[in-house]
Amino acid sequence: MEPTDFTPESAPLTPPTPAVGNDTPAAESAPAPEAAAGFAPRTDFAQLAARAEAVRAEIGKIIVGQTDLLELLLTAVLADGHVLLEGVPGVAKTLMAKLLARTLAVPFSRIQFTPDLMPADVLGTSIFRQNTGEFEFRRGPIFASVVLIDEINRAPAKTQSALFEVMEERTVTQDGTTYAMQEPFLVLATQNPVEQEGTYRLPEAQLDRFLFKLRVGYPTLAEEVQILQGHHAGFGGASLESVQPILSAADLGALRAQVRQQRVEPNILEYIAKLVGQTRAHKALYLGASPRASLALLNGAKALAALRGRDFVTPEDVQFLAPSVLRHRILLTPEREMEGGTPDEVVQQIVQSIEVPR
Amino acid sequence: MKTPRLLALLPLPWLRPAVLAGALLAASASVVGAPAPPAARPPAPVPALADTATRPLPADRATALPTRRPDAARLQELRGQREFDYAEAAPRLSAWDLFWARLWQRVQDWLQQRSYTHFWRWVFYALFVAAGVFVVLKLLQVDLTGVFGRGPRRAPLAYEAAAENIHEVDFTARLAEAEATGNFRLAVRLGYLQLLKQLADGGFIDWQPNKTNHAYLAELPAQGPLRTDFREITRQFEYVWYGELGLTAGQYAHVRTGHRALAGQLAGAPARRPA
Repeated sequence: MEPTDFTPESAPLTPPTPAVGNDTPAAESAPAPEAAAGFAPRTDFAQLAARAEAVRAEIGKIIVGQTDLLELLLTAVLADGHVLLEGVPGVAKTLMAKLLARTLAVPFSRIQFTPDLMPADVLGTSIFRQNTGEFEFRRGPIFASVVLIDEINRAPAKTQSALFEVMEERTVTQDGTTYAMQEPFLVLATQNPVEQEGTYRLPEAQLDRFLFKLRVGYPTLAEEVQILQGHHAGFGGASLESVQPILSAADLGALRAQVRQQRVEPNILEYIAKLVGQTRAHKALYLGASPRASLALLNGAKALAALRGRDFVTPEDVQFLAPSVLRHRILLTPEREMEGGTPDEVVQQIVQSIEVPR
Repeated sequence: MKTPRLLALLPLPWLRPAVLAGALLAASASVVGAPAPPAARPPAPVPALADTATRPLPADRATALPTRRPDAARLQELRGQREFDYAEAAPRLSAWDLFWARLWQRVQDWLQQRSYTHFWRWVFYALFVAAGVFVVLKLLQVDLTGVFGRGPRRAPLAYEAAAENIHEVDFTARLAEAEATGNFRLAVRLGYLQLLKQLADGGFIDWQPNKTNHAYLAELPAQGPLRTDFREITRQFEYVWYGELGLTAGQYAHVRTGHRALAGQLAGAPARRPA
């Protein structure tokens, strides 16, 4: 069922967070107006801030609230990483992914994963042309810049395996020929929790290929009232068409280049390594995070810092992103699972056990 | 079964079975379905044949009966076939099989003793003791996950995760040393840590090594100059330390003035407990 959280355009939406954090401590990082000369970003983030603000505004036409989620999605887009959105049915996972895709002026495709989906349905298949007497590769829906995979965990592992190569190497190999994906290439996948009926657990190798796993929660009471008001006022799916594309492929490439040049102090690198390394030694974890998780944390922190208007990474950025980067890359021990523990709790323990570099 | 006497009176022996079957059918019909006869009349007497009534027939020993014998060769052939050998040979047990057979025999003998009746009582005692030990270990928080080989892999950490204790650092000496060597970046860091120590000593923040600068900022009173000044000092520190900003002597002097001003505020402020 498609979520119905449309908002009247006239209704005041939750104002997009400016280029700062979203929780109480991070909100304090807004630069003071009397900023002394020298203590300002050495990279011009004006373009990035303006584009991010515009994307927030466009998505805010439809979505009520979810400011944290939106910031993390923008972070993933800037960090060139894939995103897995998890939540119970009806919390606007698919809508959020569709809206984000609409703000990017790049080729878009959507694949609905079903239990009988085959790898060739995703990647493409070779067909025989009688007039030429040759096989011709017909590209599948994965050949797009933004691919929305809806309900990804409703397909079995065989079909999931088809995504391994394309998600990591950005190529598809078929019949001995390797096809490169065009830039940007972003997979936005949604899934229901594995406890839901008719779902499969995704393979660890595939989960590791997602930069973030984001949990989409229920709206607050005030937000839900706002959703109801909007729906009652008659703003249906037509509002979806009002969302305009903001970022072209070239724009995104330039912004990503800026993000890659962010400064990261060596102590921050060590801090990231300690956080990820601790997952391999924690007694409640059966499987720790891989070095790919360290890279994801680093890239994500660089993008988040840029979104917050800084040209360097702070421990705050790393702590903020740690749950989204690590929760799908670790496996609890059976004992911990039986005790009702969650990956987020363990990540929080790890974050609290490591000294912040300063 | 002996032939009834009346049947023996029939002249033709091959008629006897038919007569007998008919009599049985009639009798069963009368017993099962037919109503009881009104009155049992005695059967009419059968005229006796005087010459055959009491004399049995002589045995026929004159007729030669052919004796059939199985073909000897065929019999010998069948005897040689394995399928017709019904004698079961005892299996040859190996030493290992003999060991287990004897062991199980011993166990079986033991279980059949009278003391076996108390066996379950000892099992319950053992389970009760094990449950008690488990509860005690749980209360003591002893980790037994690795006992059965299912524990997590313990990777040795190649680094020291010891927390830096700001209460043991001689800030005055180290600051002077950093300033003397022109290491302004380190001097800014030391000055910031010194301020954190003062904030913790004054009860404005709850010092924890895992907290970020902005977590401390959030602990300060929302109103008043303390938070505003600390926010600016934190911003400067982050640009210098995390942002690897190279400082000139003039910039350092500007930062250091801010540090001293905040330290003066803290010295004059009454101590409090962090929120």
